Amino acid sequence: MIAEEPKIKNVYEREDLLTGCQAVSQAVRLADVDVIAAYPIRPYTEVMDALSKIIADGELDAEYIIADSEHSQFEIVKHASSVNARAFAGSSGTGWCYGFEALVVTATDRLPVLFLVGNRALDDPGAFGVEHNDAMAVRDMGWLLAWVTTPQEALEHVLIGYRVAEDKRVRMPMALAMDGAFLTHSQHMVKIPTREAVRQFLPPYDLGDGRLHPDNPISIAPQVNEDWVMELRRQNWDAARRARGVIKEAYGEFNAVFGERYSTPFFTEFMTDDADTVLIGLGTVCAPGRTACRRLREKGEKVGFVSLRWFRPFPTIELRESLKRFKAVGVIDRDFAHGSPDDSGILMHEVRSALYPLKNRPAITNIITGLGGRDVSIDDCIRMYEIAQKSKTDDKLDNFVTWIGVRE
Amino acid sequence: MIKRVEINYRGIFQKNLGKKIGSDIVIIASGMGRIGFSNGRYSDSPERNGIPCKYFAFVSHDLSEEELEAECGAKLDIDQCDISVVLDDTMIKGVEPWGWHGVRPINEKVQPGGTLLVVTKKSQDELLQFIAKKPYSWKLATYSGDLSFGGLWVFRDDLTHEKTLGAVAGIDPDIIGIEAVEKYLNHKNPKEPARAEAARQACDEVRKSVRTVKPGEGVEWKHEIPVLPKWFQFMEGAAVPAVKRHFELGPKGQSRNETFKRGTTKNQRPVVRFDLCTKCTLCWLECPDQCFDQTSDGLYDIAFEYCTGCNKCAQACPVNECIVMVDELQFTDDSSPWEAYKANPQKYTEWAEEKKRKGRYIHPMVTGTGLEFVEGELVPFGGKRAGQKT
Repeated sequence: MIAEEPKIKNVYEREDLLTGCQAVSQAVRLADVDVIAAYPIRPYTEVMDALSKIIADGELDAEYIIADSEHSQFEIVKHASSVNARAFAGSSGTGWCYGFEALVVTATDRLPVLFLVGNRALDDPGAFGVEHNDAMAVRDMGWLLAWVTTPQEALEHVLIGYRVAEDKRVRMPMALAMDGAFLTHSQHMVKIPTREAVRQFLPPYDLGDGRLHPDNPISIAPQVNEDWVMELRRQNWDAARRARGVIKEAYGEFNAVFGERYSTPFFTEFMTDDADTVLIGLGTVCAPGRTACRRLREKGEKVGFVSLRWFRPFPTIELRESLKRFKAVGVIDRDFAHGSPDDSGILMHEVRSALYPLKNRPAITNIITGLGGRDVSIDDCIRMYEIAQKSKTDDKLDNFVTWIGVRE
Repeated sequence: MIKRVEINYRGIFQKNLGKKIGSDIVIIASGMGRIGFSNGRYSDSPERNGIPCKYFAFVSHDLSEEELEAECGAKLDIDQCDISVVLDDTMIKGVEPWGWHGVRPINEKVQPGGTLLVVTKKSQDELLQFIAKKPYSWKLATYSGDLSFGGLWVFRDDLTHEKTLGAVAGIDPDIIGIEAVEKYLNHKNPKEPARAEAARQACDEVRKSVRTVKPGEGVEWKHEIPVLPKWFQFMEGAAVPAVKRHFELGPKGQSRNETFKRGTTKNQRPVVRFDLCTKCTLCWLECPDQCFDQTSDGLYDIAFEYCTGCNKCAQACPVNECIVMVDELQFTDDSSPWEAYKANPQKYTEWAEEKKRKGRYIHPMVTGTGLEFVEGELVPFGGKRAGQKT
């Protein structure tokens, strides 16, 4: 990777020790967000604390509204976004689901609000640990949805997220997901960009003729009947398809401003060059996954790891082209889809579906792990590699899904 | 190479202190060109008052951040550590942060050659009366200090934060160096040289105090670690069986939750003068943890395994000197005080007064100057009532 000379000399103002939530709050400050609506639920809550402090310290001039519930919280930012205010909200677990009606209409109204989802297991039983089902609930609703794995990436993806979401070719809400506790509350050294660099990358939010304003009389979200719905769905479909190109552009521009931060937009490959077996996963599981990969490489095993970042839009073509090079793919799901085909996880369905048109498909196997914040160790990941390697010759459906980390 | 530091702290009261220590270890190490990150044990949350909790800091000289994160991050707890800091010495009696966890030894994660670093005014021999033995040798280091509330802004800062940084540097310069600690503290607080001085002092103190604990030295650990059920052993539908209701008069007469006792939450326990008790029932009524067992003679025994040391009984008791809170490290077991009283009332009373004399203190949160041991009114054994309770 050749580092390009950044356009601005000082792209970073300082380095600080920040949790994932604090890194997001710094990005919200740098994006000069106008309206923030908040309602507490952990692990999201820390971002709300951090933002209120940033506003109290006079570092950000924004409306900060504490709602009476997630439903109102999400409605507030939706409305703010429609009057051309850059808006931010977030939630976790069942709180995110409680506001689901508002989440659906934010997408159909094509309002580019950015939400942080601090992934948390859905109740019951009450638990605070990570599971991805909460964020994935919006996967079919016309949302942008991406996972990050470090506080630095979290900060950067708030900026990338706004840029993609607000692009007039896209105009979709963005859910930025990060593993609850493991990332939201883990403190790392983070480079904080300068306002100048952020301004260079992120243009002001401009809804154009879609802005709700007395000078621009329009009505958003009227009651319509069967005559209208299908055409509007077709628009959403098109926007989601266009988003892939806009995402690629955004990473190109991000690298131009901040130096070569990301070699590929949708996912990152690790040690895949001559690999015959790879694992693919979302979120913090990538860290033990890559270390397991490195250890197996030291023993001469031809393994690699694919860290998927963008889940919506799903990088169908890119991932298909990537995965077709391998003999076996193990899909790691930190989620569940009970009763779904082969009773496997959600990511597995997506990956298998993307691979289906290939004539020579790699063997595919599914691992469900880390639910409710259960540890996923390096040894667990080594076992996943063994399972994936075995699937090259043993593809009996009985062995298709393996639960790792459950007490049995 | 990875260095792991575990910080054991009392939930809520020391939450900010624990986090600040973890954060500053990473910032100082990072300033020395090392890689680090810090996190807490999220499952401790929601922290209850005084419950034993943990914060962690990880430092490496040679690994990338991603490799360090892979080895140490995204985990509930650590497997072992180089240094385990104990911010309240009463936690050496064992730690039970949540249900089905069991009461674990404070040095559980200390690896061979690793160090247990205790803030205390007790001698190391006194501490070893409570700490579990290990099959390998490890180190015990201490520096003088009390249970600090310094991380809470309403209480006086007693420099425990700075002292702990200095002490960590004193034990293992591969984590952070004392010069770097001093530089950082002076840079952050240019008008307060006392902070860096406190760090240096603690650094010197632990270097002198550190001793090797031999294999087998320490106590036999008597608490069992519960075995968690397998997935097919649970009831369907996120339902769990309740504790079966049972009551009879006498010690341990009520049924209680065996899988979560919470007794390691306390740093003080109530000592009762049964001879002064008026049987008013207020302690039994006020105890939020239902630790008091009614006995056949109308007195109330205490199940110390379940007592969180909240002080409510002592506050509720209307009789002067009848229930007094005493430093938890004065006691080596959780046996029934009522049974001891019935066996020999005079001897029990002498024992109780001895404990009160040695271990009654005004909490440092009030004075900000450290534990201040105080004496109460000595009430002779028998019917004579003490003076007005103040």
